[in-house]
Order: sequence, then C-alpha cells, then structure tokens
Amino acid sequence: MKVLDRRKMILVNGVLLVLLALSVVGCALLGPIRLDLSQAFQNIFAPNPDAEIFFRARLPRVLLGVAIGGGMAACGVVLQALLGNPLACPQMLGVSGGASLGGILGLIFLPNWLLPIAGGLLGEISWVPLAAFLGALLSMMLVYRFSLFHGRLHPYHLLLSGVIFNSFIAAIIMFLNSIVDFYQAQGLLFWLMGSLSTRAYLTVAFIWAYVIFGFLWLWAKGLSLNLITLGEEAAMQLGVETGALQRQVFVASSLMIGAMVSVSGMIGFIGLMVPHAMRLIIGSDHRLLLPASFLAGGIFLCWADTLARTLLAPAELPVGIITAFFGGPFFLFLLYREGRRKLTL
Amino acid sequence: MKHSQRILAVYIFLASVGISGAFVAFAQAASGTQPQRIISLAPSVTETVFALGFGNRLVGVTTYCDFPAEAQKLPKIGGFMNPSLEVIVAKRPDLVIGVSSATDPVKAREMERLGLKVTLISLASVSDILSSIKSIARLLGNPAAGENLVRNITRQFEKVKKRVAPAPRRSTLLAVGLRPLVAVGGKNFVDELITLAGGENIAGNAAQPWLNLPDEYVVARAPQVIIQAGLGSDRGESAKHWADLKSIPAVKEQRVYIYPSDKILRPGPRIGEGLEEIARLVHPECFAEAKSGPNKGSGCEGSRP
Repeated sequence: MKVLDRRKMILVNGVLLVLLALSVVGCALLGPIRLDLSQAFQNIFAPNPDAEIFFRARLPRVLLGVAIGGGMAACGVVLQALLGNPLACPQMLGVSGGASLGGILGLIFLPNWLLPIAGGLLGEISWVPLAAFLGALLSMMLVYRFSLFHGRLHPYHLLLSGVIFNSFIAAIIMFLNSIVDFYQAQGLLFWLMGSLSTRAYLTVAFIWAYVIFGFLWLWAKGLSLNLITLGEEAAMQLGVETGALQRQVFVASSLMIGAMVSVSGMIGFIGLMVPHAMRLIIGSDHRLLLPASFLAGGIFLCWADTLARTLLAPAELPVGIITAFFGGPFFLFLLYREGRRKLTL
Repeated sequence: MKHSQRILAVYIFLASVGISGAFVAFAQAASGTQPQRIISLAPSVTETVFALGFGNRLVGVTTYCDFPAEAQKLPKIGGFMNPSLEVIVAKRPDLVIGVSSATDPVKAREMERLGLKVTLISLASVSDILSSIKSIARLLGNPAAGENLVRNITRQFEKVKKRVAPAPRRSTLLAVGLRPLVAVGGKNFVDELITLAGGENIAGNAAQPWLNLPDEYVVARAPQVIIQAGLGSDRGESAKHWADLKSIPAVKEQRVYIYPSDKILRPGPRIGEGLEEIARLVHPECFAEAKSGPNKGSGCEGSRP
C-alpha cells in the first residue's frame, strides 16, 4: 500500500468540497418552482413566498440531504471494511430495521397529547423521529449482544444477525401494516419509502451533530481500517486491536445510521454505491476514502433529491427511487467490471 | 264426442302444466336476479348496500367496513386489499361486489372460476360513484331505490352549489398526510368535490389522483384553505405544521383545518354530506346563519367588507 500523498489528499478533498458547495447552492436554487432570489433576500423576515421557499422549504432539505448522503456513504465504507464484504451497507446492520419499527410504533401508537413535548425536544411536530431513534438504539444493543462471542464482535455473526434481525423486523412491520386502518397503512408505507422533506433546522442540526461526530470517530480509525482489510489476523499481527476497532466502528456507525434513518426513513444504495465508486477513482486508503466518500455521498444525495422534487412536478418522487435507479445499473456495471478484471488477471 | 272431449281435457291439462311451469320458471328467474347473500369488498360498497336498504343481505364485509354501525357486526372476509378467498367461498355468496381499482384482479378471476358471480364497480369520479349506486341497486333487484338515493345525493349537491355560488373560488389544499405531505391530485372524486364546494384544488392539474407534494409547491401556489382530512396517518397538528410558512394565505388567515372524516374520502353514498363538510370549511361564511332574513348579508360574497 502506498504512503498517503498529502497533495492528493488536499486535491481530492478540495475538489469534492468545492463541488459540494456548488451542489448545495445549485440544489437550493433548483426545484419545481422558479425562484426569484433577489426577492428571497430582500425581506427575509416578512412573510415572503420566495424567502420561505428558499430558506424553509429547500435549504434545510438540501443540508439534510448532504448530511445523510455523506453519513450513509461513510458508514458504507467502514462496514465494507469491517465485515470484509463488498455488499455490506448501512441497511444491513439491523439498526435501520429497528429505527423503522420505532418510527412506525410512534406513528401508530403515541398519543397526541404528548406531541408538544416532542416539539420542544426536536423542533418537530411529530414523535416519529424520536421513537425511531430509540428503536435504532435498542436494536443496536440487541444486534451487538447477539454478535458477541467470547467477548469478541465477530463479523460473520454481525452480518447474519443484522440481516436476520432486519427481516424479522420487516415481518413485524408488515403485520402492523395489515392491522392498522387504511389511511394509517398508507401513511406508514409513505414513511417507509423515505423522504428528506423537513423544515426544522433543529432536526437538521441534530443529524449533522451525529453524522460529524460519528464521521470524525471513524476517520480517526482510518489507518486501522486499512490494516483490517488485509484480514483480521494480519491486522492483529500489525498491532491493531481488532476487537476494540470492531466495537468502536459498530457503535459509531450504528449511532449515525440510527439518527439518519429516524429522520429520513430508509434511503438505499448510497451506502453501497458511493464507496465502491470512490474506491475505483481514488483507491482504497481509508484515510482518504472516508472523507472523499462522505463528500461524494453528500453531492449525490443532494442531486438525487433535487431530481425527486422536479422530475414529476408537482408530484414528488420518493428519493429512494432515484438513488436506486442510478445506483442499481451502476452497481451491476461494477460487478461486471470486477469480474472481467479478475478474468484478465 | 267422447273422443273430442278427451282431447280437450288433455289439452287443458297440458296447457295448465305449461302455464304453471312457466310461472315457476318466472318466479325462479325473478328470485335469481335478486342476490340474497352478498359479500362487499370495499367500505364504500358496504355503505351503498346499506343505504339501498339491503344491509341484511350482506354476509361478509372487509375489516375496514365501519359504517353504518351494523356493518361492524357483520362477518369479516379480510382487508380491503387482501380479502381471504377461502373465507369468501365458505360464505357461499351469490354476489361479490368489489372495486375495479382496488380489488385484486387475479383474486376476482379466481372467484369467478370457482363459480361466484363477481361484479367490479368503478369509483374514480363522482359520476362513477352515482352510476355505481344505480348499478348496485339494479343488481339487487330494486332499481328504484338506486334512483332515489342518487336523487337525494344530487339534491344535496345542488343545495351546496347554490350556497357557495355567490362566493369567489378559494384555492384549497386537501392533504391526507403530513410527513410526507400527501395531497388530493387530479382525476380523483375528492378533487371534483373541492371544485363543487367552491374551492380550487392547488394540485388539481396533477396526473396522479394522490400525490406527494413538496413544501415549496404549496408555498408557491399559496392556498387560501388547507384541510387535513387524513385519518391518523399523521396525527401532528396541522396548524402547527404550517405555522412557519406565513406567506401562505391559509396560514395567515387561520384557515387551516383538521377534518378527519370518512365522509370526505370515502366514495360512497355519503359524498353529498362530504361535499357539504368541505364547503363549510372552504366557505364557512356561506353557511353562517343569516342575521335578518334569508337574503340579507350572509357575507358569502367573500371579499366584501
């Protein structure tokens, strides 16, 4: 493995950072409604449709998209390394299922009179994100407990218990879906499809706090992650405390995923696709791959959400459709390329 | 003579047998066109059958059929989207009524193959709903009841139309969910009801009957009335949800309503009442009791001070 080149580090991240900044501005300006920016900035505090569209309907949404796209991609990178599996993605940890179930239970069962308290806590009118986050934390503890063997977090057990936990949760969700009334069932399905729609800056700040905290934690482990991709035993011989690393990576990414899913629902494919794409472009040194994937994931989701808002205007598509539509073929292409490269070796 | 008498007797006997036979056949045919054991695959169908006075012939309804109250006591055959085939067959119905957009066509075909009579009605528009009431009445052997019910609904429509006629149209958003925002689009009977109630659906030009709207679209179209009609899909308070978008006239003028009622959203015989409920929210001033005499200043002319 080559020594990390400081110039490459600055160049790649610099370019991506500029692209991300341009994307944030571009996506906040684009949408089904044409925006008069001079109007938007003229009197921000008076009731003004242009300002409301820019500062309320779009900007929080774009910022949330960057955090979630980046967070998903970063989690994808570390999980693929940790589990030694190119198919690993944030949806696999079981945390997402727990978050969905928590959110749905909140949607169905939490009484109305509790709403003002949630408003105070999250700046949201709904208990759903909070219930989802609690579900994520609980499922994280459960999956962790079931993957622990002789005091060690085993990647195979982690992968299997995560996948099985998720399908178990999916069964419970489908069961709930068939016992609630028709309109609740509709709302539930829409929630499950995932959306970045938000106007609460407090929620966006909450997600950013989790994502940045988790990201920095993971980034600090970049070198150890490089070594663990060589295999657990090799990493151990090179002085990596694999047990501690696995635990920390699991907890950090679970916290990020839990927070993200609780607000946006399941938005797939970013965590799978962006890391692989970045590996192809800049190589697999995690000290660079992690921040670059974060920035690229942010850019990707930002644009995917803008497409979701505009493609069928006035109707808004679930953003998961866009990410999967572009992610699916791309992933098949990667598999094809990978296969051919191995054949020609 | 004896011979001819005998022939006459035989002739009379045969004729009487023939006539009575025809009578029996006729009676059988008559009762055959009147199904006695009906299964309804949709809440709106259940309501229609009850409204036509044939509720006692229902032998199975869906778990969502909650109106009228008697419907809740009837045996359930499963959900609206996923009725149980074997429960339906076990009820030995002589008529199964479903809805063409909701009932699983594969299941409908399966039922027909098992020898059941299945009718699917369309409920996509107000005229569909009215004609489906008539066709259900015809199927149940009482077309007059259908005509009557439709006449009553049309009368309710006319009453509301007359009430709101002097008022200017108010742009309206009718949402069934808030997170995400799911609204009534075009090609949906609720869209027609909004128009009849003197409103103008801000998403009425959409191709989809129900659609997920981005917030910015609502801000740009600036609805004067916002009605949240969803039944618990999101129990957040509607007024609070919109409070930060003060440029929307409905928010500014406090015309954001929560109205969780089946009457608005169920394409059944209560759409006349549903229309009035919508009209009362879109144009409350048209329904305020006149202070002196019926023709004096109900304030219905809208923007007049």
